[in-house]
Amino acid sequence: MRWPLLFLVMLAAAPDTRAERALPDYRYFRALSIDLLGRPPTRDELAAFEQPGFDFDAWISTHLGGTGYAERLRRVYMDLLRLEVGPSFQFVPNPLVLRRQEVRGPDGPIYVYYRRGQRRVNPSTDGELCLTEDDTGQEFPNNAAPIGIAHEVSQAVLDARTVVVKPWWLYADYRGATPADRNAPDWARRFPGFQLAPGLLVEPDGKTPTTEVRVCREEAQAVETGAVYASGRTGGKKGEPPPAGRTTQPPGDSGFARANKGRAVSCLSGTGFQNSVECGCGIGLERCMPGAGFVNEPPAFLLPTHTPLGGDAPFESTPQPAGAWERLWWGEEAKHFLDKILLEDRDFRELLTSRSTVVNGPLAQFYRFFAGATCCGGAADLGYSDPTPLVEPGAIPEALVPEDTATWLPVADRGPYASGILTMPIFLTKYGSRRARAHVAYSAFLCRDFVADAVRLAPSTEPDLTKRPGCSSCHQTLEPMAAYFTRVMESDWTFLPADRFPMSHPLCSRPKGQPGACKTIYDPAFTTLRGGYASQPHAEAGPAGLAAELTGSPEFASCVAENVAQSLLGRALVPEDAAWKAELAKRFVAGGYRMRALVRAILASPRYRDANDRRQR
Amino acid sequence: MRRAQPSASRAPQVALVSRPPPSRAANLRAVLAGAAWLCAACGPARVIAPSPPSPLPPHHEQAIDTTPKQRPRMMPPEVYLRAYMMWFGGLAPLDVQARARGKQLFDAWDDYLAALGLPDYRLDLPRQTQTNSLMLAVFGRLGEALCVRAVEHDLHSPKTPLDQRVVFAFDPVAAPTAAQFAERFDVLHRGFLGYPARLAPADRTARYHALFDDVAHRHKGKNPLTPDETGWAAVCTALIQHPETGLY
Repeated sequence: MRWPLLFLVMLAAAPDTRAERALPDYRYFRALSIDLLGRPPTRDELAAFEQPGFDFDAWISTHLGGTGYAERLRRVYMDLLRLEVGPSFQFVPNPLVLRRQEVRGPDGPIYVYYRRGQRRVNPSTDGELCLTEDDTGQEFPNNAAPIGIAHEVSQAVLDARTVVVKPWWLYADYRGATPADRNAPDWARRFPGFQLAPGLLVEPDGKTPTTEVRVCREEAQAVETGAVYASGRTGGKKGEPPPAGRTTQPPGDSGFARANKGRAVSCLSGTGFQNSVECGCGIGLERCMPGAGFVNEPPAFLLPTHTPLGGDAPFESTPQPAGAWERLWWGEEAKHFLDKILLEDRDFRELLTSRSTVVNGPLAQFYRFFAGATCCGGAADLGYSDPTPLVEPGAIPEALVPEDTATWLPVADRGPYASGILTMPIFLTKYGSRRARAHVAYSAFLCRDFVADAVRLAPSTEPDLTKRPGCSSCHQTLEPMAAYFTRVMESDWTFLPADRFPMSHPLCSRPKGQPGACKTIYDPAFTTLRGGYASQPHAEAGPAGLAAELTGSPEFASCVAENVAQSLLGRALVPEDAAWKAELAKRFVAGGYRMRALVRAILASPRYRDANDRRQR
Repeated sequence: MRRAQPSASRAPQVALVSRPPPSRAANLRAVLAGAAWLCAACGPARVIAPSPPSPLPPHHEQAIDTTPKQRPRMMPPEVYLRAYMMWFGGLAPLDVQARARGKQLFDAWDDYLAALGLPDYRLDLPRQTQTNSLMLAVFGRLGEALCVRAVEHDLHSPKTPLDQRVVFAFDPVAAPTAAQFAERFDVLHRGFLGYPARLAPADRTARYHALFDDVAHRHKGKNPLTPDETGWAAVCTALIQHPETGLY
């Protein structure tokens, strides 16, 4: 009897296959899952955690570097920088937007695509739709419904004024001789998120699938360089009614056109669009965005309204204009760039300093064909018509088709003026002014802010804010930082190269007869480039100079440690945390500014472990 | 409300007396006084020199404790959303919306995303780092809807095979005893709160059992779900609305 009893006692004393874990261990494991996997643990993960021999350090190492970790860390900096722009920033340059009008063709209603402001030799249609009122029976005012009773447009007129194109938004192989890879259900898998507004997929009857589009002949041109066209017109006077058959005054010759008639101009610039009758939308209309209508911002794409869980898990989609499509991908570039730094555990300073980036199809299209469209406006009168890009179009992979949202390819070197997120369109448009750009960088990367002195403000005519009483305490720091963005136009990415824009321009220094651009590009108060008065060396150093200043500051590492620690602890750091923060910063620097080592140190700290050690309820 | 009316008997008794006419001197004095007042009123405004505000003297001094406080963190809303997707079958956001929307249990995500504490970078709305009642109500409501859906999917006839159940990964028994309930409750507790029920305060399982019994009792013959199924939906809802679910 004794042996069986002993056996039972031994059996009872045998260890459970599940290790005996305490509540703080479970909570620590749950916290780690939330911060490194982006969700609480599953039942299977809990079961693995309960096995004997579970190693917290090994588990952290395994997951420190996954997509959940990258998303968690990315959120820290997205919360600080908020790198998305909404509809308040409109991006509808005329060179890019193909609007359409419905006319009566020989076989029924058809759409004709055109660009507002497209230069044409025919003065009746220059700057407007390529079909006249005589052709269609209607006038087509901007941003309003057609006026008049439509009559049939003869095939001869259609053939003379328009051509039929298989555009990029309908064919992924639009550059081929016979495009056949048409927008189909499998595109949802191949190009996730690329969804055209329904109106772009059907003809005016609402049923017939669109297989090609009819576009005005000038818009269908594909040359990269056009000749400057001068019509000899001076442009209508303000308030003067347009000539019969037109809804607007025909465009007059700009000063640039008068001075440069016949000279070559890039069709990838806004100046080319405005001054040449030879500049069109390129092969398959790849230099333009479609719009299902004639209004200022016609719907073009179905876009998710919110993507807190990423672009592949959208929350509702609505038809939105082409500008929203561009804004979406500008934001995604910054997110993917951050993810690359985090996932590859690269030197975190690259966020500000790197000349590399990552692009997908829509971004490649933007950098190759769209970015120059906002240049150069009045700057052409100062000799600037062929923009010097912030991002070299030649550096962008040509293999990416515009609808390829899923393929992200690295761009090793964007060009000499590129510098991390500081020169990305999302940063330059989110923070439109030079001061806003400097301010957010100062706050997010040095953890400092501008707090005004408690002094009484007196009226002042002092234009230099670094000297004006009451302003100087902040602007002595802010203005020299803002000066780094002197050569990047505000709310834009147009670069102002030194060879075209000396710090003081002789044309802008003369008392009379200044070109109009002098007031927008040069600051009349200082007769220097806008923003450059506070520090000309900073203006010449450009955004890369600011990146060097920020990352070279002893506060940079400390600020990164503070931002990440605060986010992971869920509370602000207080003076009692100062020594710990200093130790984290030291470790971050010693580790080559790699984020993984910093995060590991925080996750292993008692502060993190105990942050959820609350009393049981 | 009635208002007291003045009564004739309570009116003050005032003797009527005749007033003598004012003298010319008195009139002159009054005119001069008025002129002087008008002159003073139309004169230049008195200039009050600005002076910096002087701080109020302190009544008493009180030391502020700035030492770090260990408080539970709020689960980031993104994690909360992802947790819901995971708990209820690995659904995509729009699938969750579609599943929870039936019978008016939920409407649309876009109505709630801001209330859940998500930032909106486009509008510069910051992330909320503290829970609020609206946030808890939203998640609670969504959890309630999804718990009912999960019961329908996992337990309601025909029952889903055990290995395909998304929430109720156990075999329910009718009118479970305390031990039977505890075993099944532990499955839910571990799923939502991340630790075994035995490590929770001692009365937790008993309280949830009481909730189960109470709800099941009240729903006898009332619902498309059986009373026990309704009881499990209530336990699921109560767990998903537990403060520990959203904090970490």
